[in-house]
Order: sequence, then structure tokens, then C-alpha cells
Amino acid sequence: MSDKHAKHKSKYTADRMIPGAFEGETVTRRRFMTGTAHTAGGIAAAAFALPALGFALGPIFKKTPHTWQTVGPASSFSEDNYVPVVVTLTPGIGEAGTSTAYVRKFNPKIDTDPYDASTPYIAISSRCAHLGCPVRWVDAAERFICPCHGGVYDLLGKRVGGPPVRPLDRFYTRVEGESVQIGPRFSVNSELRRFSPRDPGEPLDGIGQYLYPSRPTERKL
Amino acid sequence: MNQREKEEYLRDYSILKAQGKPFFPYAVAKDGAMACVVMVVIIAMSLVLGAELGPKANPTTTTYVPRPEWYFFFLFEVLRVVKPPSLVPLATIGVPTLGMILLFLLPFYDRSPERRPERRPIATITGIAVIGAMAFLTYSGANAGSPTAIELKTPQTVLNAGGQTLAEYEAGKKVVAQSGCLACHKIGENGNDGPGPQLTNIGARLERQGIARTLVNPTAPMPSFKNLPPKKFNAVVAFLTQLK
Amino acid sequence: MPRLPKLPAPPLPAALQAPPPRPGEGNGKAGPLEQGKQAGITVVDWVDERTSLSGAGRWLLFRKVPKGTNWFYTLGSATMFAFLSQAVTGVFLAMYYRPDPAGGAYESIRHVTNEVFLGQFVRGMHKWGSSVMVILIFLHMGRTFFFGAYKYPRELNWVIGVVLLILTMVMSFTGYLLPFDQRAYWATIVGVNINGTGPLVGPYLSDFLRGGGEFGATTLSRFYAIHMLLIPGLLAALIGFHLYLVAKLGTTAPPWSKAKERPELLEAEV
Repeated sequence: MSDKHAKHKSKYTADRMIPGAFEGETVTRRRFMTGTAHTAGGIAAAAFALPALGFALGPIFKKTPHTWQTVGPASSFSEDNYVPVVVTLTPGIGEAGTSTAYVRKFNPKIDTDPYDASTPYIAISSRCAHLGCPVRWVDAAERFICPCHGGVYDLLGKRVGGPPVRPLDRFYTRVEGESVQIGPRFSVNSELRRFSPRDPGEPLDGIGQYLYPSRPTERKL
Repeated sequence: MNQREKEEYLRDYSILKAQGKPFFPYAVAKDGAMACVVMVVIIAMSLVLGAELGPKANPTTTTYVPRPEWYFFFLFEVLRVVKPPSLVPLATIGVPTLGMILLFLLPFYDRSPERRPERRPIATITGIAVIGAMAFLTYSGANAGSPTAIELKTPQTVLNAGGQTLAEYEAGKKVVAQSGCLACHKIGENGNDGPGPQLTNIGARLERQGIARTLVNPTAPMPSFKNLPPKKFNAVVAFLTQLK
Repeated sequence: MPRLPKLPAPPLPAALQAPPPRPGEGNGKAGPLEQGKQAGITVVDWVDERTSLSGAGRWLLFRKVPKGTNWFYTLGSATMFAFLSQAVTGVFLAMYYRPDPAGGAYESIRHVTNEVFLGQFVRGMHKWGSSVMVILIFLHMGRTFFFGAYKYPRELNWVIGVVLLILTMVMSFTGYLLPFDQRAYWATIVGVNINGTGPLVGPYLSDFLRGGGEFGATTLSRFYAIHMLLIPGLLAALIGFHLYLVAKLGTTAPPWSKAKERPELLEAEV
């Protein structure tokens, strides 16, 4: 092999023992080909991975439309006791998209909180603020009781005992003619300050509202 | 393990391996026998226990008492026991994540060359303690009664008395179960231990009058039960008096 | 074509082995019976000539296992066997299942349980097989832990094993929702909300699992796809790697067995 390649023998490849290096190759050329291999592979992988990932993650950023639904005539709710009503959270999947809300007329003696002053009816979600089990309203004790991990809430949905991290969630309410309508859900902290709806188990007091930010799917009305 | 210990292990292991038997058919025979046992167990469980299908999912329920599959009972029990709300994220995410990280990194912090369990007391005791804790949590999770029912055996004295006493006892039991007392009090295996005191033996600690007075004029946060109809109220008092 | 070396003959007892043909018999040509006998061996040879798989097979099967391995060492393969059983029963359950939260899911499971031939049996095998697999994987992990089998050089295999354990628990969790009965629904709600309590990422994670802010039309199909395609694929791939490492590094010897120098080696020293 005493041709012209002998003169151009690279001092960078052969003596550096790069695996697979051939005679006459330069480091620049080799780095170019290595870079091409990595870039092309990366682009090809990204070409299917990114759309698929975006497709799977898409629902996280899709805003749920707000709806108002009639839950009954105004006469069916009293000032001092809750009436369970069925609300639809996700339309189109039948019973699986529904939930229970406890509704009661605004009572100035109990609902002294300024945030509630403009609410004609108090509608409380049946999802426990601990981990989402179905709470039941116990009339005799005037308590909401969670059957899973022992959460207890008072008449206003504030925590009395057990592990729940915030009061029970509520729904916006309004009166249309003679009927009571229920709107989107919202969460409250222990002072009944309103926040965009959070999932159960996410505290809203102090630093909690920043540790568990609101999501694009569920914004406040 | 330092380099010398590593080489020592590899040398010992290669000798042990050279003295061993081939994987096929000796180990495979054992594995095959075990596979048969596994299949027999699965098939027997399927035949005996069947595939139960509960009532259809109903998100509007207010009476259903959710319970997980048995292998998540330990987590369920942890969630039930951790009461202070500020510790809830610790119980749901913190402790399980920490456990997983400790499990992942086990070979990287336990680097001693010793392998015999009796010569690594810390690892062995920790392992047994973790298994014991999981077993205990699973057991108590499995026995966690519903907070809306009382599964207490009627005492013999009440059964013997019969008539009015028995009827009042049963009625009181029902009212207590439905009135949410178990949210804060434990009665037998049912209910939550706290914030209220256990009521399993309340009859031995308080007189009939005392129980009635507490129900009407309780200390916060317990609500007053003075609005209960007198018949139900008397039944509750009668039931609680019998808990000795 | 050059003749390649044949695979070693199977160790048949002498009585069963065909006698070699006498000289002059059959004129050197093989009869149809003999050709049929040869066909199987020829096929194996043909495949092996093009794949060289027999070497890998021999490496996997005829590797030595140290002395003293006992029944505790079958727990790993038993777990894998439970996984195979789950995979097969799961595939057939998928033929009947409809991931439709509006009522189709519950109805299809009810149909499988009550009306399909052997339906309750196969569903029972899948349901209880999951419990058996969880028990076996914990027992296998306990054996590895107490025997110190996760130490050098098998650290990576322990890490893969922990990933397999987590994936198995994820399988249990996602499989839970599919029958769509009360227990399934509420356990899923609680499970998703547990994920939601992780600071900062939690809320987005639970939105991802649900496919939206509330339990919706695609939540069930999400869980179905994760349960049926994503996790089983990962599990199978990792089980393969786990096994490769077991074969490469060798089954651990029980911690009590001590390597004795073989007598002939000691004699050689004298």
C-alpha cells in the first residue's frame, strides 16, 4: 500500500486506536459521520415520539366547557338541611360521568362567610377532600362522613376530624326562574376562600395553593 | 466491596458453579414442578372463589364503602391512620416514594461483601421488621370496619334480658351506626379511633345519666344530639349503656 | 455444500437406538422411513445453519447451577410463569371486553362471567392469577434480599427487579378499573387522587391518567391501553433482560455454601 493514502495517513485516527477507524480517515470526517448518525436517529425517533406524546398529553391542556344544569325547583330545598341531587360532570358517558351534590338554601345565620354572601344556594360536592371517596350527609349528627379513611366535615363542609386537607368542594349555583341551577365546581380553603377546582388531597392553605397549581382543564368561572 | 473482595467472590463463585449441575434438566425440573403448583393454585382459586362482579359503578352513591384489593390494604391502612392533614401528602406520596428509592438503591448503600443473613443483622432485622409492618398493616386494613355499621356481638346479658331491653339495644345500635358517631369514635372494630374517645367500653366508664348529658351537651367539636326524636335518643342511650 | 458438524445425538438408551445399517444393505440409499426420520434433524440443522441459535440455547440450558440451590430458587421462574398465565388469559379476555364507560364495559364483563363458556373460570384465573403473581414477586424479592443475592455483581439485576415489581403493581392498579363495578370505580378514583397529591406535578399527572379534569369518556380506554399494551410490553422486555443477566452472571449460590478447593488441586500443590 504505497499509494497516495500513505502520505495522507492521519495522525489522529490510527494511532489513537479509535475503534473501526480506517486508514486515511480524519477526525473531522469521522466526527461529521458520528454527528450525522446521532442527529438522523434523533430526528427519526422524535418524528414519531413527539406527536404520540403530544397526542397522549393533549387532554391535560384542553379546557372543559362549563355548563349549568337544573337540579330542581327552588321549593325542594330547605335552609337547614341538605338534599342530595345528581349532577353530570362529564356528559355523554351516562351514569359514569355523574356525581352527587348536597344542596341547601343560603342561610344567613350559618353562612356568615363573606364569600358566600352572593350565593343563593349552597351546593357541596360529595367527593371527599382527602382522596375522593363518596361522603354521606348524616342528618342526626349534622356531619358529612367519609367511609374510606375517616374524614368528617361539619355543616359548612369544613373539616372536623380525620385526614382531609381542605373543606369539601362546592358548586356555583344560580336561580333561573323557579328552578335552581348548578354550575362548575370550585375548591375552598379552610377560610372558605374560593379557588379553581383542585383534585382531592391537595391542600389550599398557605403554600398549598402554589404546590398544587390550578390546571388548564379546570379553571375558575 | 473493594477490588480484592470482588475478585474473591468471583473466584469462589466460579468454583461453586463448576461443582454444580447443569440448569437443564436439574433446575428446570424443579422450576417445572413449581410452575405446576402455581397453576394448580390459580385454577383452584378460580374454581373455588370464582370471579365475583360487584354492582355496577355508580359515582352518585352515598352509601357505598370503598375498599381496595387486598394487596393495597397496607396503603389503605396508612391513609386511614395518618390523621393530621398536613401529613397527608407524606402518607400518599412521600413514604411510598421514599420506600421505592430505598429499595432501588439497596445494592448501592449495602455494599458489604457478607451474604449470610445471620451475619448481616441490620439488613435481616430491617427486612423482617418491614415484612412484619406490612403484614400488620394489611391485617388491620382488612379488618377495618365500615364507619356506617356496627359489627358488635350482642352481649349475653342483653340476650338473656330479651324483650324491651333487646329491642332497645338493637334499635340504638342502628341509630348509632346511622348517626355518624363512628366518624370520630371507635366501637369494636368499626369506626375511627379519634378524635373522640373509644366507645367500646363507654358503659363501664359513664352512668346512664352521664351518657345522656354528654349527648345533649357535648364538648366541641362533637355536635349535640338533642334534636333526635326521644325514642331514638333513648335507644342510643340504652345501647351505649350496655357497652361494657 | 460442505457438511456441517451435526448436533450431538440425544442420549437414548442403547436398546432404543437404531442399529447401524449393515454393509451392502439398502444400496446406500435411504428409504422413505429413514428420510422421514432425517427430516426433523435436517430442519433443525437448516435453521441452526442460518441462525446459530443452538449455541445460545446450549449456553442458556446447559450452564451450571451452583450446588445447594433449593426450592427458594424456583420463585423467580414461578413469577414468570404466573405472568405468562396472566398474558394468555388476558389476551382472551380482551377478545370479549369493551372499554366503554357508558355501560358496555360492565355489560361485557357480566357477559363473560355469566354467559360465555368457561368465562367465569378464565376471568377467575386472571383475577386470582394477579394475586398469586404479586405474592410470588414479593417472595422472590424476599429470597433475593435475605440471601444477599443483590450484591456484586448482580446490582443491576436487583434494580431491574424493583422496576418489575413496580410495573406489576401498576398492572394490578390499572387492571382494577376494567370490570367497572363499584370497587373498581372507587379504587381508581382514590388511586388517581393519590397520584394527584404529588406537589407541583401531581395535578397534571392525575389529569394525564384521567385524560381530562374529571373521570371522562376516555379514562377507561386509557387504563385499558396502559394495562394491555404499554405495561405488558415493558414487563416482557424487562423480564427478558432480567433472565439474560441471570444466565450471564449465574444463579447465586446459597450464602451458606462455601467454595472448597477440589482435592486434586490441593494435591497438585503438595
